[in-house]
Amino acid sequence: MEVLFGITGKDFALLAADTNQARSIVVLKRGEDRTVDLNRHTALAYTGDPGDAIHFTEYIAANVRLNEIRHGHEASPNAVAKYTRNALAGYLRTRQAYHINMLIAGVDKTSGAPALYWSDHLANMTALPFAAHGYASYFCMSTMDRLWRPNLTLEEAIIVLQKCVAALKTRFVASLPEFKVKVIDKSGIRVIDVKFEK
Amino acid sequence: MEYNGSAVMAMKGDGCVAIAADRRFGVQALTLGTEFQKIFQMNKYTFVGLAGLASDVITLSDQLRYKVKMYELREERPISPETFAHLASSSLYEKRFGPWFVEPIIAGLDPKTGEPFIASTDLIGCINFAKDFVVSGTANSQMYGMCESLWEPNLGPEDLFETISQAMLNAIDRDCIAGWGAVVHVITKDKIVTKHLKGRMD
Amino acid sequence: MSRRYDSRTTIFSPEGRLYQVEYAMEAINHAGAAIGIVTPEGVVLATEKKVTSKLLDQTNSQEKIYRVDERVAVAVAGFTADANTLVTTLQSLAQQHYLDYGENVPVEVLVSTLASHKQAYTQYGGLRPFGVSILYAGWDESRGFQLYLTDPSGNYGGWQATAIGGNASNAKALLKTDYRPDMTLAEAISLVIKIVGKTADNSAMSADRLEFATVTRSKRTGDVVFRAYTAPEVNALLKKEGVLSELAEDEDPAGL
Repeated sequence: MEVLFGITGKDFALLAADTNQARSIVVLKRGEDRTVDLNRHTALAYTGDPGDAIHFTEYIAANVRLNEIRHGHEASPNAVAKYTRNALAGYLRTRQAYHINMLIAGVDKTSGAPALYWSDHLANMTALPFAAHGYASYFCMSTMDRLWRPNLTLEEAIIVLQKCVAALKTRFVASLPEFKVKVIDKSGIRVIDVKFEK
Repeated sequence: MEYNGSAVMAMKGDGCVAIAADRRFGVQALTLGTEFQKIFQMNKYTFVGLAGLASDVITLSDQLRYKVKMYELREERPISPETFAHLASSSLYEKRFGPWFVEPIIAGLDPKTGEPFIASTDLIGCINFAKDFVVSGTANSQMYGMCESLWEPNLGPEDLFETISQAMLNAIDRDCIAGWGAVVHVITKDKIVTKHLKGRMD
Repeated sequence: MSRRYDSRTTIFSPEGRLYQVEYAMEAINHAGAAIGIVTPEGVVLATEKKVTSKLLDQTNSQEKIYRVDERVAVAVAGFTADANTLVTTLQSLAQQHYLDYGENVPVEVLVSTLASHKQAYTQYGGLRPFGVSILYAGWDESRGFQLYLTDPSGNYGGWQATAIGGNASNAKALLKTDYRPDMTLAEAISLVIKIVGKTADNSAMSADRLEFATVTRSKRTGDVVFRAYTAPEVNALLKKEGVLSELAEDEDPAGL
């Protein structure tokens, strides 16, 4: 029942992850943060087996930082996404395959060009202008198909996100009261507070 | 093989070859992207198209690129499409009992003679050399039908482009998990023409 | 029993020196020189070939300057056999980086990784250091055109202009006086030729004793361009600077 959204705009990328931690039909926790900052201009949002996901994202975050120190420069979102996919694909054919779905979003630190990558637990990865994970993709890809256009401003992207969440409120069986929303632009990653209709 | 959906084909012409693929990225019935790359240029005259599981398409294309680069640095000459077909084949057979879910199509011109070459392999690397056309992917039966009826020997580059484009577009219209536009590369001795085709986007 | 001695190849002497490493560096001082200069327009590499014989099959024109990646070329001085394995290592490191990150390797990452590889051979038992110094000419987004040097000890550093191999100290002295950071590529090329003409054993040079290459960027596409000069092109450069041997001039009636 977990849901992720990613939207790219003119010079930023936006990630949203619902904050319900559920097991079967029970909500265990509200306010769970399913996003991870990988470097100053790249963030990741995930769903999947919680144990796998936390372990894998910590591994990736630590290695991206290590490589930054070793290589002496910050990796681009494209390089981070490629590295993450390779790691996941490497584990795929072992007995410890990680069950994790991800959206990786970031901007090029000099040009500000946004990048958004969608990846599932089989390490199928592609760059997309907008993306969703979980049941949200069945409800909201069409919403974003209609509302997304190139060079969105942040305000417009937030409206797209709000409409997506509204679509879930109307037709999706589970209730998702809160989303953690992160914006990545040239100045870095920041959390923004987005109001959704009750 | 049916998780993502794909259609790749190649055809021989007179002093030229063409390779085409659809551009859909989807998971089962859900289409997520329409700009997924399934054809990869290995060197000036050699192309490989990979149909199958998108994850393995990426992994295998990266790995083949690595192997070709190392081959060409070592040998100080470009790899021929035929040698490349054997390289792809042995890379696949290496994983005989846990295969990559990918069926490649190879198309190119011999760097020395300019002789057209096309081939396909199955997921464990059994090569099929062909004189006419090769197809691979979830739309393979539709593509076979289209190629059988449209292809003829000794097509020039323009006619070959028209033939492969029509074969591809009409085949993917009858496969619900392949399509959403296509890309065609026509390879001749002096240039490579790449065109993106608009297909039915539904 | 022999392991007792073999595994002690590189240890400190009572004076605190690593003789094997020093010997390796000394071996390089007897090898043909290599010179590199960075300019805002690109990097120039030149190497002097020591052993030349009329009987040598020269179909493989470049034997001391290699392209290791899209954007990096190296010039080597020292044992050719050691150099070959190191060049292969560099090529595979560069391709491995592309495989991992989908991007070309930054020059310094490539250099520092190979430096660590060389350092390991000065410390582990049963190994001898590589008898090779390498000049790296390359370009990347963050630092532009660059020139690096690695020696057998595993040290590495970035340079504006430097030289390795036989007579390197003379070449470096000449570079110190004549190098300017704002040189054009053409000026750097003629400086390199001038220095090679002065420092080589025999001041009369020809293409079979000199290899020459540049790393620049295409004005149109921005791609990095590696250009290895052919024998007639090298002779043309030598002739322009007036250091071409008369013998070679006779061999080339077209005057290329």
